[in-house]
Amino acid sequence: MGAHADSLEHDLVEVHGQEEARRALEVAAAGGHHVLMTGPPGAGKTMLARCLPGIMPGLELAEALEVAQVRSLLGELPAGRPLDWVRPFRAPHHGVSMAGLIGGGAGLALPGEISRAHHGVLFLDELAEFQASVLQALRQPLESGRVAITRSGGSVVYPARFTLVAATNPCPCGWAGDGQRNCRCTPAVIDAYLRKLSGPLLDRIDLKVTVRRVPLGELASEPRGEGSALVRERVRAARQRQVERQGFLNAQLKPARLRQLASLEPASRRTLERWAEQKGLTARGFHRAWRVARTAADLDGSEQIAEAHILESLGYRLHDVAA
Amino acid sequence: MSPPDERRAPDALLLAQLHARGRWPPPDGPRVAIVGSRRPSPYGEAAAEQLSADLAGAGVVVISGLALGIDAAAHRGAISGDGITVAVMGTGVDMVYPAAHTRLAEDILAAGGALVSQFAAGTPPRRQNFPARNWTMAALSDAVVVVEAGEGSGALITAGAALELHKEVMAVPGSIFSPLSVGSHALLREGAGLVQNARDILAVLGLGGEVLDDPLGAPERLGFALHPERDGIVIHLSDTLAVSAAELARKLQLPVAEVIGRLTALELDGAVRRHQSGYVRALRRGKERA
Repeated sequence: MGAHADSLEHDLVEVHGQEEARRALEVAAAGGHHVLMTGPPGAGKTMLARCLPGIMPGLELAEALEVAQVRSLLGELPAGRPLDWVRPFRAPHHGVSMAGLIGGGAGLALPGEISRAHHGVLFLDELAEFQASVLQALRQPLESGRVAITRSGGSVVYPARFTLVAATNPCPCGWAGDGQRNCRCTPAVIDAYLRKLSGPLLDRIDLKVTVRRVPLGELASEPRGEGSALVRERVRAARQRQVERQGFLNAQLKPARLRQLASLEPASRRTLERWAEQKGLTARGFHRAWRVARTAADLDGSEQIAEAHILESLGYRLHDVAA
Repeated sequence: MSPPDERRAPDALLLAQLHARGRWPPPDGPRVAIVGSRRPSPYGEAAAEQLSADLAGAGVVVISGLALGIDAAAHRGAISGDGITVAVMGTGVDMVYPAAHTRLAEDILAAGGALVSQFAAGTPPRRQNFPARNWTMAALSDAVVVVEAGEGSGALITAGAALELHKEVMAVPGSIFSPLSVGSHALLREGAGLVQNARDILAVLGLGGEVLDDPLGAPERLGFALHPERDGIVIHLSDTLAVSAAELARKLQLPVAEVIGRLTALELDGAVRRHQSGYVRALRRGKERA
């Protein structure tokens, strides 16, 4: 289906080091999970985010048609080439308005950035800088994959099934936890900054990773990782397993189906329960970790969820630790 | 500087002059202040917590300032060692500063300790009040132990006060590369007592060595010894510098997914701690560990 040209504009082969973030992106692409990357300026968060569409398999025909419909509504369908097989990548600025992100505008409500990112990636850089109300409005579409916009003239529903990649600095000055530069923020300021990020939105993000800056001098010696094409093959196989098993990606598994389709080995269950008890995990958090473990097992080609898969998924729960 | 009469104030007078919540005056026994940076390294935090727990277990009243960082670790350690700890506050005793320590203040009271202040109820945090508070901390203590203090830190004011009041001053050494240990090392060079474990402090106070009977046993007690069944990758972690899963995976030539999982297993066992930028070896035994 000619989904990807031979060379991608943003290929993981260009990313030095950052093994944790690369793996998190692979899991995100495989299971449809959302990602948060925390790290100082210049750590390569944007580059990593831009690589995500390229490790997802190209759009299916039905998906490409939906993407084309959104573009058509916006009058942005390229003449002569209506169908695009590459997954959308949208990166709205943190100053974006409610209407710009969610949809709206005068007269008939037009699709916003989240619908332009349908079947693709929505990248929100500097997450803490977005208006709280705008982030709040993301909750419903993150759950349902659709957005309903009610205007005086009536209401419309647009598709908005996207993978969210969010990025943030660890503190206002950006250097907390960095080995090379000193952070100038007081503990109270860092606390307030992280509190801004916490809450309902963060609760819906399955994968949280720290991205560290690779010093310029070491850039050349840092090993390059695999290219996007290789990663994409593993992602494709893992997605295939999910579609054959349940018809959709793991991120959308409801708890009841999860129990049915993702049975835990006794050791896996014990480990998950131990963590939940130690960190005071909510039921929502418990199921999120379980879904990610299902994806890790699918990437392994394993029907059973082994303890290693649960442990990996818990490794992405950075914010349980801060509590 | 504090007025001379206050500086030489007899112990009983000072105790009676302070506003207090909780059990005050504290039970008889030696009193040791543990102070240091508000933004310590994982090493400093672990050292303060461990020393406080051991001192508290030996019947020492642990005194600190309820601030973030080393102070909080000292109070927490004393509580975990089933001992008594006293927070000397720079505000009125009816308010907790920082507010994030409301729970810690309650825990201190619940464990039989006290919150005390020389300032009247309702006094908000004022910058100029904290040095005076540091004097009071020194006056209340038989010894002041500094754990991680950068140049010009408040902990050094407390140490200076202790010297003028003829109290013992001791310091915990750190890495020569750490700016957080510059102040502590300066104190050591000027003759402060070297602290490697709680026994060093008890010895200076003329107290028995029964806390850590076997000096060679200390490393194991401090959690340095490797649990035989524990995953060996823990030895590749540092107790001062956070190492990321990515760095570890590269060093050990292992898949990063596996390394993330193995580190999480160690975290569950309390053998490593996760910080914002990576993992460090946990010095203290976690509560859930056998």
